[in-house]
Order: sequence, then structure tokens, then C-alpha cells
Amino acid sequence: MAVLGPEGGPREADENTETPVTKPSSGGRMGHGPFAMRTIGAAAAAVVLALAGMTASASAAGPSEADAQCLGCHGAQGLEKQLASGEALSLQIPGDAFAQSVHSVIGCTGCHTDIDPSKHPPAENSISGKRAFSIAMVQVCKNCHSDEFEQWGKSVHAALIREGDPGAPICTGCHSPHAVMKGASEAMDTVPCKTCHGDIFTAYAESVHGVARSHGQTQAPLCFGCHGAHGVNVPSAGAGMKDVCLRCHTGALAAHRKWLPNAELHFDVVSCPACHAPKAERRVDLILYDSTAQKEVSEPAGVPEFESRTGSASATRPGLDATTLWTLLKTLNRPGVGDKTSLKGRLEVRTGVEAHELAGKSAAISDCKTCHRAGAQAFQSVTISVAGPAGIPVRYGASEKVLSSAFSIESIGGFYAIGGTRITFLDVLFVLALFGGIALPIGHVTLRWGFKRYLNRKPHEPRKG
Amino acid sequence: MHRIYVHPLPVRIWHWINAVACVLLVLTGVQIRYVGLVDAVPFRIAVVVHNWIGFVLIANFFVWFFFYLFSDKIKVYHPELNPIKYYRGNLRQALYYGYGIFKGAPNPHHVSVYRKFNPLQSMTYQLIMLLLLPIQCFTGVLLWDLTRFSGTVAFFGGVRVVDTVHVLIFTVFVFYILFHAYLGTLGRTPTEKFKAMFDGFEEVEEGESADKAE
Repeated sequence: MAVLGPEGGPREADENTETPVTKPSSGGRMGHGPFAMRTIGAAAAAVVLALAGMTASASAAGPSEADAQCLGCHGAQGLEKQLASGEALSLQIPGDAFAQSVHSVIGCTGCHTDIDPSKHPPAENSISGKRAFSIAMVQVCKNCHSDEFEQWGKSVHAALIREGDPGAPICTGCHSPHAVMKGASEAMDTVPCKTCHGDIFTAYAESVHGVARSHGQTQAPLCFGCHGAHGVNVPSAGAGMKDVCLRCHTGALAAHRKWLPNAELHFDVVSCPACHAPKAERRVDLILYDSTAQKEVSEPAGVPEFESRTGSASATRPGLDATTLWTLLKTLNRPGVGDKTSLKGRLEVRTGVEAHELAGKSAAISDCKTCHRAGAQAFQSVTISVAGPAGIPVRYGASEKVLSSAFSIESIGGFYAIGGTRITFLDVLFVLALFGGIALPIGHVTLRWGFKRYLNRKPHEPRKG
Repeated sequence: MHRIYVHPLPVRIWHWINAVACVLLVLTGVQIRYVGLVDAVPFRIAVVVHNWIGFVLIANFFVWFFFYLFSDKIKVYHPELNPIKYYRGNLRQALYYGYGIFKGAPNPHHVSVYRKFNPLQSMTYQLIMLLLLPIQCFTGVLLWDLTRFSGTVAFFGGVRVVDTVHVLIFTVFVFYILFHAYLGTLGRTPTEKFKAMFDGFEEVEEGESADKAE
């Protein structure tokens, strides 16, 4: 079973950006104290704000006196400590970067409210590991950035963390904890997404959006412009990113209606990059859909052998065929099952990288023949997908022949591309009809001619003997 | 021999518009379905032309429908309700086309104003005009704008089901158009029936009229 990342790429976090460093609130000792999180009350928040006011003026010139005390130890190069997990946690804070960051106004104690100066560094080291510590420290960010935290909580990143994904980013995964610079996410060279999604960012940078952005056209979207900054959803789920594209390209549907028959249907079934990333390879994704609940099926309920039947979406395994798919749908919709499961077809590009290879309008595919002909590349790859953990589709491989089989008339009733996915059996019938419509008259005429000739000749040619 | 007026003007207009439209729909349909194999006109042009001709065909259907609905000529479409007569008539006509015609036997059916179709014609035209053509028009309209009619399309099982029905009837029409044109040559002369569909008159032997025979 192949579980793809939200963009088809790896989900690896930068260790350094994800690992915040604690600082002593006073004194110059190294910290080994407990880092268990505590909820900050109203009083603490007031203190933070007061400190923010006090340190605001100081940040312009350099760290405040209090912060300078912390940096007295934590500015030292190579300062680190060993965690119980065996990892080394860097405790070094880049003083200059922190002084320029947006958080310099609140100072070290703005976030590290749990540090007791009299007991810092503590005798016991309670940090089990860097990842656990980073996740725990998210609560600190939440105290001030509650809206962003709420959005993030609904994102695929948070869902992946709940699933135990060791690489899914938390706050500090994107925002360098001690060097949060204003506008960093709005510049191509500092946008944090590329840390994990580097190949996708490269594709973006070369796309019509990326090139425009690099030329200073700020209306061209950067990552967050389409995916949102904190509430990042799975782009390949459901209807994909169509509505996001239409937010800026408001006249797109009207423009397509002028030349594209059934434009609305194309918008519903074909993802934007399928045409606007002309170099991309396309595939058909057949989404198992609960028509009753109006949502994607999260797992083939009542069909435990689904996985073994279908195999994984790999080049070496052909995946399930049309009859198996037909049987599967019959099983899912067996008598007694209330929900009606169907397959919703969708034409999309194969990878998240290709989804970002968007070209200019003039380069987009507008030749209908690209898809509406037999053997079109778009229909050579077929997957069956269900909603997996964190909302990320889990894809199973299927034979491309499912699109042209008579068995699919019922099972894939909702997806059909004229010419491209035509049913072979109907082609045979057409040939027979054409042949019959020509051959029968010719045969009949021949018989009439033969009989006429025979009957006319008969009186003149008496039988011999 | 005398001439009787069996094809009124509205019927002739309907017939030839129907014939041309059906042929063009088949040709554009083949272009749409077999892009790559057939590249006479661009796919998009074929789709647009197919759609427009489809609407002409639908409008023309109502010319036929309302003419016969409000005319006593509707009797030509009255089905034979007596099963013995029905099967005997069909069998006799089939034997004529399958055997008698070769020997030069006379056509068992005698054309008249109110019985202008032989039993096989009557059955075929009822099937086509009251079942296949309406279904073809209906599925064609659904396929013309799948989003507008998405609920209806889903009710019938999805676009693939609707398209399959459309293509199956298309296949029947391909055979029918070819065979119908051939059967049109089986009058007393090869062009007699074609001329009749232009001027409305058929020539019948004295005392041959089926109306009189009844």
C-alpha cells in the first residue's frame, strides 16, 4: 500500500529549525531543568506584555539587559546538552538574529516562562527527545497565536502529527524559533515550505507563478497564496485546488465556456494542472465515494480483503482489473448495506511536483485530441483511492483496461471521456453494424442478380440427359 | 397503374431533414468517437456541429409528431393488434424479401394512403420513432450539458451508462440508415421510392390499394 505525502514528496523537517532552545531567565548557568509545559495564566501574559514594552526599544540596538544575561551562556558556540534519547540539543542562540526577530520585543522570558532562575539549570534533565520537546513547546506559541494555532490544528500537518508522523512540521518546523523574521514566508528565498518540499518548490520557481514572483510581481502566488499559511489541507483530496485557482482566475470558467464544450464538467472532473502543466503526465484517479454520506470512503467497509485484492499502485503490479472492480463495488453495495458506494473519476497529474509545473496560458493543452482519442496518455494510469489517515488519499493500482471494459459501464458509471475511454465491446458492435449495413445489401443484390440471371437463362438452357 | 398521394408535404419535409440530420449526426458522431482514426474535422467543431444538428433533429421530430397527432394519417402508424395477423403479415413480408423477391414474386404489401407501410416497415418505424429516436434525443441532450443535467445523469447510473445507450442506438442507426436506403431501391424501379419521397406520389396497380382491399 502506497501512502503518498500531501504533495507526493518527502516529509522531513529541518532538525535545526524544529528544535527551539531554552534559555535561563537569569544568570549564566547552562539549563538542564524540566521543560514540561505549563499553561500561562493571565498574570503571566500581563508580564509578557509588560516585558514586551520594556524591551521594545532595546531590541533595535541589541538584546535587552535581561536577554543579554541569557545570551551570556546561550550565545556560546557549541553549547548543547545530551538528551535522554541520546540526541544532542543545541542550546546556542544566535543573538543578533534574535535581536532582529519579531520576538525580540518580548524577550527570552516571553516564551520561556517556565524557567526558574534560582534553579536554572536544573539538576535533572526531563527532556525525553527533541521531537517531543518541540511538540510540547507548541503550547507556548498558542498563547499568543491562538488563531493560527487553531488553523494549524485542522491542517494536514497537524493531522500527520496526530498520526505519529515524525517529520510533520509543528510551529518551529517552519518558523525558526529564535529568528522569526517578518515577511520571511513572503519571499522566495526564505519561504519555509521549501525546506521539506524542495522538489516542489523548484518546480514552482520555474512555473509561470514562480517566474512572475521572482520578477517582483507580488500578485503571483507563493506557497501560502494557494495552500494557506497554517491551515494547509491535502491538495490532492476531493476536488483538488480548483476553487483556489478560481479565487484569482475569476474569469476562467467564462473564458473556457467560449471554446470548451461542457466546460463546467471539465472543471469538475479535470484538475487545472492536467491541462495547464502541459509537460506533466496524467492519470485517472477513481475515488471510492459514499454517495449517501456525500464523502470519500475512508476504508472499504466490510471488505477486509480489499488491499490484498488490489495490490499497491506500482509499475510492477498491474492492480485490479475490471471484473474485480465490478465485484468489489457489488460487495460494497451488497444488500443490507445502507450506504451507496460509487467511484468518482478525476483526471489529474501524477505528482505534486508536476502539479506545480504550471505554464502560461498559451502553452496550456487546448487540443481535445490530447485526451479524447484511444490510447491517450491520460488514460494509461489508473488508481483507486480512499481517504487515508490525515485525509491523505491512499491509492491502489488498477489496470488501465478498467476504463474500456464493458464491466465498467456500471462500476465506473460516473467517469467517461469520449474517445479516450470508449468501451471496446461497443466498437465491435459498431463494426458489425457497419459491415452488416454494407454486406447485407450487397449480398441481397448479388442474390437478386444471380436468381434473375438463372431464371432468365433457364428456358434457353434445357438440362442435358 | 395510377398515382396516389401517400406522402404529404410535411411528412416529406420531415423525412428529408431527418435523413440528412441522421447522416450528419452519424458522421460527426464517428468523428467525435474515433478521433485519431478519423480526422476529417477538428474534434471541437464536430462536437459543436453534432450538438446543433441534434437540436434540429429534435425540433424536426416534433414536426413529425404533431403532424401525425393532428392528422388522420396517423392510421399509418396504428399497430396491428391481432397477433395472428401481425405475425402472418411480418412473416409474409420477410419471406418476400428473403426469398420471393429473388423469384420475381409480387410484393405482398399493397401501398395505400392509410396503409402505406408494410408490416415490417410499420414495426420498424414504430420502434424507431417512438422508442429509439426519443431515447437517442434524450440521451443526446443529457450529454450535451452534463452539468446542467447531472442529477438526471446520476439517476440513470452516470455518464458512462448514458453514453453507452447513446452509442448502442447510434450503432442501430448506422445499420438502419444503410439498410433503409437499400430497401428504398426495391420498388418497381430502383428510384421509384426515392421519387415518391420527393413528390409524394406512389404508383399502384389498378385495384391494388390496400385500403380498397380492406
